[in-house]
Amino acid sequence: MRSFLLCLALVGFSVPAPAATIEMEVNGLVCAFCAQGIEKKLRAFPATADVVVSLEKKLVALSTKDGQDIPDDELRSALTNAGYTVKAIHRESESLNDVRERLKGSR
Amino acid sequence: MFVCNNASNRRAAVRLTFLLLSAANVSAKPIAFADGTTIMAEYGAGTMEEAQAFYAPYYWLSLGAGYLHLDSDVMPRTRNIQDLRANYLAHRWNLDDAQANVFAWAGLGSATGNDFRGSVLDREVGFQADYETRRLYASWVTDLHESSAYSDRIDTVQLGFAPYAHDYQDLATWLVLQARDYTGGIHNGVEYALLVRLFKGGAWVEAGVTQNGKPQVMMMFNF
Repeated sequence: MRSFLLCLALVGFSVPAPAATIEMEVNGLVCAFCAQGIEKKLRAFPATADVVVSLEKKLVALSTKDGQDIPDDELRSALTNAGYTVKAIHRESESLNDVRERLKGSR
Repeated sequence: MFVCNNASNRRAAVRLTFLLLSAANVSAKPIAFADGTTIMAEYGAGTMEEAQAFYAPYYWLSLGAGYLHLDSDVMPRTRNIQDLRANYLAHRWNLDDAQANVFAWAGLGSATGNDFRGSVLDREVGFQADYETRRLYASWVTDLHESSAYSDRIDTVQLGFAPYAHDYQDLATWLVLQARDYTGGIHNGVEYALLVRLFKGGAWVEAGVTQNGKPQVMMMFNF
């Protein structure tokens, strides 16, 4: 029984938890219409919880619904199909609200 | 972007490049974003009134309809043109702190006027090049309407400056100097206008006056 519980715990821990925030560095992000188009594309993913766009930082940040994730290639494809160039995608443990506050604070 | 066959062409290309780079994007683009709808209306100093509505299935294509009324201020000549139009983003440069675009469009429709009889087939072609940062903006737009009865072209150059760098949730403010030239006896000489452009989210309002004190107003909504 103990080994069964141990296995169960290991299996549970081995499934990576989705990142709190996915950050995308985007080139060509200079106007509100650019941001509006990107936001609309990303909000179309069923897994998207919220989106923040910073023209200042050329950054698009996205949080997903609990337990859900969006693969990098799908995010890259969405931004490319919106007409923008993705420089990098990285996942952060910081919450989207913290990212929003950080972006506000840096202005 | 430019093919230079001789020194004169090279000089023209350098001048145009300088013109585009010296200001920079807040031009009204014929395609705002993929899966987006754009509605635009403009009142141009009593000489030109225009309304357009487009839907963009892709970021590089939009389809829609337009209405253009031209009223010459040098002779009793008017045009009323309505057409269906396709806009194509021929190329986009996504740079670190800027974006540049080349658009082309074509349309077919019908036109009436007071210096020819009945309705004629109108053919429209146009081209736009723009460059934009968060503080500078430049655009050059040429729009040609031709029929068996007329050939009218409107060339517009805009240079814009933003007194502060806006972000997505901010109200963006731009000061724009516009030069517009009409062919076809619509207006004599180049018409200059100084405009204030405000936009936030998907709404854009622009207003100003020409050198003759005539008003120019433009509104655009993207959703």
